[in-house]
Amino acid sequence: MGIVSAIGFDVEETLQSLRAGKTGIDALRYLQTDHHEFPVGEVQMSTDEMAKRLGIPDGTPRTRTAMMGIMALGQALQQANLHKDDMAKAAFVSGTTVGGMDMSEQFYMDFLTNDLHNDYISQHDCGACTESIADYFGPFASVSTLSTACSSAANAIINGANAIREGSCEIAVVGGSECITKFHLNGFNSLMILDHEQCRPFDETRAGLNLGEGAAFLVIETADSARRRGVTPIAVLEGYGNACDAFHQTASSPDGEGSYRAMREALADAGLQPQDIDYINAHGTGTPNNDTSESQAMMRLFGETIPPVSSTKSFTGHTTSASGSIEAVICILALQHQFLPLNLGWKHQMPDGITPVTDQHPVRPLQHVLCNSFGFGGNDSSLVIGKEPSKALLPLGEGREGAAGEGAFILAATQISIQEGLSEAWMQSPIQYDEPYVRSLDVDYKQWLSVGESRRMGKLLKRALVTSLAAMRQSGVEHPDAIITGTGLGCIENTEILLTHLCEEGEENCKPTPFMQSTHNTISSLVSIHTHTHGYNATYAHKEASFDCALEDAWRQMKLGRIHTALVGGQDEMTPKYFGLLCKTGYLGQPSQIAGEAAVSVMLSAKPRNELDNVLCRMTYFKRLYRPTPEELQQTAAAIGCFDAVVTSVSQLSTFNSQLSTLQEAATLFPDTPLLQYKNIFGESYTAYGLGIYATAHVLHCQQLPPAMLIPGFVTPAALHRILVLNQIGGKDYTFTVLES
Amino acid sequence: MEELIEKLKQQIIEVLNLEEVTPADIDNDAPLFGEGLGLDSIDALELIVMMEKEYGIKLKNPAEGKEIFKSINVMAQYISEHRTK
Repeated sequence: MGIVSAIGFDVEETLQSLRAGKTGIDALRYLQTDHHEFPVGEVQMSTDEMAKRLGIPDGTPRTRTAMMGIMALGQALQQANLHKDDMAKAAFVSGTTVGGMDMSEQFYMDFLTNDLHNDYISQHDCGACTESIADYFGPFASVSTLSTACSSAANAIINGANAIREGSCEIAVVGGSECITKFHLNGFNSLMILDHEQCRPFDETRAGLNLGEGAAFLVIETADSARRRGVTPIAVLEGYGNACDAFHQTASSPDGEGSYRAMREALADAGLQPQDIDYINAHGTGTPNNDTSESQAMMRLFGETIPPVSSTKSFTGHTTSASGSIEAVICILALQHQFLPLNLGWKHQMPDGITPVTDQHPVRPLQHVLCNSFGFGGNDSSLVIGKEPSKALLPLGEGREGAAGEGAFILAATQISIQEGLSEAWMQSPIQYDEPYVRSLDVDYKQWLSVGESRRMGKLLKRALVTSLAAMRQSGVEHPDAIITGTGLGCIENTEILLTHLCEEGEENCKPTPFMQSTHNTISSLVSIHTHTHGYNATYAHKEASFDCALEDAWRQMKLGRIHTALVGGQDEMTPKYFGLLCKTGYLGQPSQIAGEAAVSVMLSAKPRNELDNVLCRMTYFKRLYRPTPEELQQTAAAIGCFDAVVTSVSQLSTFNSQLSTLQEAATLFPDTPLLQYKNIFGESYTAYGLGIYATAHVLHCQQLPPAMLIPGFVTPAALHRILVLNQIGGKDYTFTVLES
Repeated sequence: MEELIEKLKQQIIEVLNLEEVTPADIDNDAPLFGEGLGLDSIDALELIVMMEKEYGIKLKNPAEGKEIFKSINVMAQYISEHRTK
């Protein structure tokens, strides 16, 4: 494991600070902001010093979040003795919310008006940050980015563990990174949840959180793999739970329903009883709302005998997206060194809350600890970590009741895009565009949402919610076991509003709504809140593979029998300003390419629930590869077997373009197979792959191929029974999904 | 005071994007939160920003909003007593 935070640059320094009761929260030193009234937990190093320490040459784009991640990951790889050939077989999963925002907020006006800092445009999003961290060390087998606000790193750990359990890999490197930015500081300030003093979690006088920053990564692997590599495990991930509070975009419910469910599920997953837990590292932000809600959830689950609880945010500050892995590292230190991390600053008992740890000496040995991470929108996750390597994760998967052995069924697929929304009219007569950039054709949202409900929603939120509701209605699944969303940029319109405000008007009078809606998980949690769905909820923000990550999560958990139904969304919008920026990077604005917007929802079920179910098609194969070798591509192609056509991700077909190689590669990998397209109909967007899945599902269902999907020069498929939907962008991030009629 | 009340109603409609509400629909004594307009905690934060921006009133604790946003009349009274611009 590796860690960087306000209380140390590595595991040893972190341990020393924890044992000495020494907080890292202090006056602001590095962030350039007007808000010096707020204490923060900064990593005690400037961004330039970080670059120097990592040997990143001047002029190379580097962001603070990525560099802190690199520092933490380096330690983890070293301790786990993980070499390049091990990494090439491992999954890398990281969580972040602001990504490269530290530089975007400095250069945003330059992005819009000149070409001085164009290099940083493509560093802005969450996926870019994850790739920067991963690529510093070498290629991983797959790379994914969780973005569930303050539970991002905890959900990255869960994602990696599921990948191992399902058999995708034997090693996963998981965690998260987040730096303090003006964007975040002003955003939290607009919600009025920052304390002007040192934070006091679970204290009656608590008045908010202190922002922190940092990164932590863990190497998790199967016992067999560890044995083969000759390494000794330092702790065991025994179980985990993820649930949605489904209450409010920024507040927790009074009874802590989501956190109660997450903790209960984590215990059940670990096969433990509440009395088996020896310590809880609480989310404990220090806001009046969180600490009351979390206390209630703990009281509900543990009754009279609540284990020792502390919030180590009193040491590190709230490290937001990184807190899940930072606090997991602290839990492992507590297990290794048998001490209870303190809850600094606590003096006054809350009438409706728990009493936190004030003495480091445990009354009984620490065997099993619980680590809570909760995020905006009620994205609540909980991990159980144990000391004894003998008690590894319970086996899951084949044989478990309801596990999707032979694939998953697509019950519904809906879209609002540049074609007529909530309709398959595009199959008969697609609207044709000549413009390089087209916005979605909105539907009548009032048929689905009242004016009151939708008054605070931007366009993307309405589209996402309505495609979700339509998919739920068509499938008859009102409360899916999982709601999983992919979004490359989230509600970028809201991000732009706050960025523009910071650049033009400064740090006064920032409004809470744009900040709240700029967090990527606002989309997925809105669907849960609106439909009162408390199940698994996650958001992936990984560039063009955002939808792919969400689909992978659903597929994997169905194979494990953890979920039986999942609503998978791909939700992105494109503003005129951001279109301009992405033209500068070369991603959009290419000859004959159309930039579009995508809102797509797909309802998956492990089994048709009854004969009445309207099944569009079956999904029978899924695989993602990050930077595969030609041999790996050949092996994957061979594993898929025979099919009738490949739906490719080409978005332009002019003679001289980079994407011609995409087609050539597909033609080489799958000789004599008809190649098809869909981006000429739906346009290019970060979650366009969702529209590829949507379109193919309807083609298989109707047994009809719209002529627009044919690529000139390639043969027409002879049959429409088994189709590969292939995603590939810029020679990386390959996704293979096979759909069958 | 009448003038301030009218202006406030328009500002609230605009800031909170209450598309289908007109100033005449807002009862001067009806609660803004819960019943009445049915506003929530995020709306309260938006109103706090609006009071700072338009009237130079800075609240430190969001809980203070609860008393101030009881009704349009109470809010107008508070603003007229505390405004700095």
